[in-house]
Amino acid sequence: MEDRTNDRRSFLKVMAVGSAAVAGAAAGMLGTPGVQTEFAGVSRARAQGTRYKMAFIQWQPHTVPAAWSKGIEEVLKPQQVIDYELLDGQNKVEVQASLMDTLISQGASVIFLQPIDSVALAPSIAKAKRAGISVITLNIDATEAHAAHVEMNHYYGAMDIAKAMGDAMGGKGKVAILNAPPGIIIRDQRTNGFVEGMKQHHPGIQIVADQVADWDRKKAQDVLNTILAANPDLGGAYGVNDSMALGAVDVAKEKGLLGKFVVFGNDGETAALESIEAGELTGTQYTDVYQQGRLAAAAATVLATGGVAAGSFGQQSRLLMPYVIATKENAGSIQPSQRW
Amino acid sequence: MSGFSFMAILAMGQAFPILVRGIDLSIGATVGLVGMVVFDLSLIFGMPGYGIIPLALVAGTLAGALNGVLIVYLRLQPFIATLATLAAFRGLTYTISGRQLVPGLSTTPIRDPWITGIETYFDVGGWLGLSRLVNMPWVPLSFFIMLAVFAVLQILLLATRFGRDTFATGGNHEAARLAGIQVKAVTIAAYAISGFCAAIAALIMVARFTTATEALGTGMELTAIAAAVIGGVSLAGGIGSMFGPALGAFLLGAILIGLTLQGVPQFVQQIITGLILLAAVGYDRLLLVRRQRRLAMAAAV
Amino acid sequence: MMATDAPLLRGVALSKTYGAFAALNDADFSVRAGEVRALIGSNGAGKSTLIKILTGAIAPTSGSVEIGGQPAPLGDPLGMIRRGVACIYQHSNLAPAMSVLDNIYLGRQPTRRFGFVDTRRQRKEATALLDRHGIAIDLDSPAGSLPTVKQKEVEILKALALDARLILMDEPTGWLASADVARLHDTIRALKSRGVGIVYISHVLDEIFAVCDTVTIMRDGKVVAESAVPDIDRARVVHLMVGEKLARDASDAALQKRHPRGTGEVRLSARALTKRGVFSDISFDLHAGEIFCLTGLIGAKRTELVRTVFGSDRFDSGSLEIDGKPTAPRSPVAGIGRGIGFVPEDRHHEGLMLDMTVTENLAMATLDRFRRGPVLDRGHMVRAGRRAIEELSVRPPDGNKVVRRLSGGNQQKVLVGKWLARRPRILILDEPTVGVDVGAKAEIYAILRRERELGAAILVVSSDLEEVMTVADRIGVMVSGRLVAVHDAGAVSMADIVHAMGGGTA
Repeated sequence: MEDRTNDRRSFLKVMAVGSAAVAGAAAGMLGTPGVQTEFAGVSRARAQGTRYKMAFIQWQPHTVPAAWSKGIEEVLKPQQVIDYELLDGQNKVEVQASLMDTLISQGASVIFLQPIDSVALAPSIAKAKRAGISVITLNIDATEAHAAHVEMNHYYGAMDIAKAMGDAMGGKGKVAILNAPPGIIIRDQRTNGFVEGMKQHHPGIQIVADQVADWDRKKAQDVLNTILAANPDLGGAYGVNDSMALGAVDVAKEKGLLGKFVVFGNDGETAALESIEAGELTGTQYTDVYQQGRLAAAAATVLATGGVAAGSFGQQSRLLMPYVIATKENAGSIQPSQRW
Repeated sequence: MSGFSFMAILAMGQAFPILVRGIDLSIGATVGLVGMVVFDLSLIFGMPGYGIIPLALVAGTLAGALNGVLIVYLRLQPFIATLATLAAFRGLTYTISGRQLVPGLSTTPIRDPWITGIETYFDVGGWLGLSRLVNMPWVPLSFFIMLAVFAVLQILLLATRFGRDTFATGGNHEAARLAGIQVKAVTIAAYAISGFCAAIAALIMVARFTTATEALGTGMELTAIAAAVIGGVSLAGGIGSMFGPALGAFLLGAILIGLTLQGVPQFVQQIITGLILLAAVGYDRLLLVRRQRRLAMAAAV
Repeated sequence: MMATDAPLLRGVALSKTYGAFAALNDADFSVRAGEVRALIGSNGAGKSTLIKILTGAIAPTSGSVEIGGQPAPLGDPLGMIRRGVACIYQHSNLAPAMSVLDNIYLGRQPTRRFGFVDTRRQRKEATALLDRHGIAIDLDSPAGSLPTVKQKEVEILKALALDARLILMDEPTGWLASADVARLHDTIRALKSRGVGIVYISHVLDEIFAVCDTVTIMRDGKVVAESAVPDIDRARVVHLMVGEKLARDASDAALQKRHPRGTGEVRLSARALTKRGVFSDISFDLHAGEIFCLTGLIGAKRTELVRTVFGSDRFDSGSLEIDGKPTAPRSPVAGIGRGIGFVPEDRHHEGLMLDMTVTENLAMATLDRFRRGPVLDRGHMVRAGRRAIEELSVRPPDGNKVVRRLSGGNQQKVLVGKWLARRPRILILDEPTVGVDVGAKAEIYAILRRERELGAAILVVSSDLEEVMTVADRIGVMVSGRLVAVHDAGAVSMADIVHAMGGGTA
């Protein structure tokens, strides 16, 4: 009996995540809200008048979680039985934890979470599971097993960035990395992927500097100026997010190196795509972040209405987002509604 | 409730420096530092929890006492001294951070039962048979720790010689000194108590998160000061008890979480916290002016 | 009751210097059990310094103190308390928010194990103490809520609870009504009969003749006379306090150049000026070309009055006219705008930038004058500074000297000079010569006289009677927030003023 229930649950889990992915992809293809993402469970709920509460606890207000939230809403709103809200974690683990507590006691059915710390939020996730609440993490994973984890493809994306960057530089020269402060997993993934990519595809390119620029455009300008002073023959820079890459573009523009100096970013935010189209930024890894939100929301809908018990996840499913290395050639094909 | 207990403990600790007419801005950083000490001792040195807990309390107490020593012996303004240690403690936290020194530790939870045991919940409603009548939430151990801290500090303040000396030092420093009270020792002890409370809060938070981050406790000093002042601890020194700060912390916590749930942006919340603090300080000031006025009237009679 | 012969406390060759200034110079002092010794002298005579040494608040630069024949620790308040020395200070020394009971036992509550206060014993002892001395007071009310008279009683109880053998009383009647003064004197006599030694500091000679056995008179940091009270009269006491030469100078000055009401033009006129709870019904005129001195005891609210006139504080009712126009200065800026210059008492905190140079300080109140566009004309400032230094005879005559390094007298000259640079029509000075040596005092007086000749109206607050008698054209005496008497300086003796200060009518 016990075993059979477990089997059934893991099956349902795979079903739930799988169909969520499909539905999300479908919603993304249509690209408009109001798509038919109905499930048997939702119809039943609507018939019985049950309402579901879902909330997204973001890290702190920023373009990426804002776009996720928009994507999530696009999927949840039309179902009419789900109350959704976006909450601000204020960049503090204790705020995220107490928001988790509050949502648990309010009886939410699914919590979307962008944890500030992978370990610190794990006990809260465990608590949510005990209360029968599914947790879906976005981009940053947690050490406690939970329903699903939807993330950008940081590692392989960074490898492809390295490849494209090496191609643009003709397979030789020196590059610098404008990095995030240590202590966050995605920083390591985006850095290690890049280093590994260079090793595989362009062993002739030398990474001469790896310095922290705090995710920040202004800081990146200062840092790159210092690096250039020490390495006047630097051929390119990789910013682990677009803001820092745009900072590098500012420096290249100022020094008249535009066109000669290769700059790659990561994320694919609107400002970066526009810079690419203007011929300034060489390229970036573009992920459709709205789509990421939709995917998470689709999974949430299944989890809330499909009868999968939150406690039954021994290990979360990982949904890796597809991505594109956007350069001048293909940036124009990214539609305005896909830009964030 | 465990979300507020640590804030209540911080506010009660903060009340002591304020009672001796000082202020402790470093408690948030002390929380971060003690949290990281616990993290390192547990995950790097593999020390058992029953050894870590006393060491953590000692570390917090020493950090607080350092503030007192700076204020008493270097004659620094409490505001300046604790602002300096705020920066220093936070910097030290980053320096000793096991999350950065040892790869992989940032994703390793602390599993020591002595520490994680602090985050235990009790079905008090069930014991009392109340849960048959109403739906009672389970009560975390940290809440009982908070009650214990409250009881100990309240007795210390109201029933012991040290408590009277604290009130006297804050109420009229010169009179206390001339009455032979060891005002220096009392001042240092007040800051040490603040540090001790920060250490308890840090243990509760580490237990709650099963890890410590470098930024742990950031900004908590302001909430703690606001809670203490709202709770009737006079910034002019010498007036207050433990009850007000504890209650103030719960009220402030409830207001802030309520605002967050209402979707009020963080920045607006900071403005609101600032306004509440300003209102509390203003009210405290008003009381002081009234007191002085009454004295002047009495003197003129 | 006769005092016993063995001294209870003996201070030998006590000196205390602050930089170049000797606050106390080779003073000997002793009190026997059952003796009430008066300690008198004008302000700055060194009484407070002596008291601070005896209570352990400060350590003397040299000299020693013996209590009961044993050397006592110096600069150790707790050590002095343990040896039975208690002090009732001029200013309240109570923790206002704590109960009377806690204040009585401040710092030495009886305790049980683990530092728990034995409240039962504390209350029992306090009640017994109240009964013994016939004082009725609510032990549980916060000390700060009591009227001042009661607060004094709490302070006395505090000393009594110590079983003090020697009680120092610094101006204990400063805030008391006369009925309360009599009551305090009864208490003092009772203490005396139990063998307690008392040091009684007061400006009020009546009180000294009423309650004291012996008197020690101080002047300029030295003990100038000791006597049994029956062997001395008022005139002699005043004479000793003031000093022979200065007394003669003062009376010479009085004969020579008094200008009561100056040119006769009223610059500033106060009518029924009242600030609730501080001062009330103050009326006076200040004329161009005169020096009007306000004197009185500490707590007479003179400083509060002149701060109000200047505009630092506000008043509740009454009127203030400057040059015949009604005015209510609401801020120092407004006061300065109306041509008032104010030299505050506490030059370190309120008057000077101690770590800036003499030139910078002198230019502080008149910076606008040295502005060329948005920048300051340094050369102009230095030239003006050099002129002022010469006029004020600041020594050393070096504009680049940091003010902290100057002696007190020269600091004061700089402070006065800073305001003179504005050529104020009305100049207010609060205790202009506290902590200033005799030579510098004379120079400051000369500066004031010169300004007077130039037509300024000058209002001086001073507790220093020699100063008042030397420099004033007219003298106003304040007692407890009231202006009780105004005299032309030439027509009044110092004894009259002293009498008026103590609350009597001249």
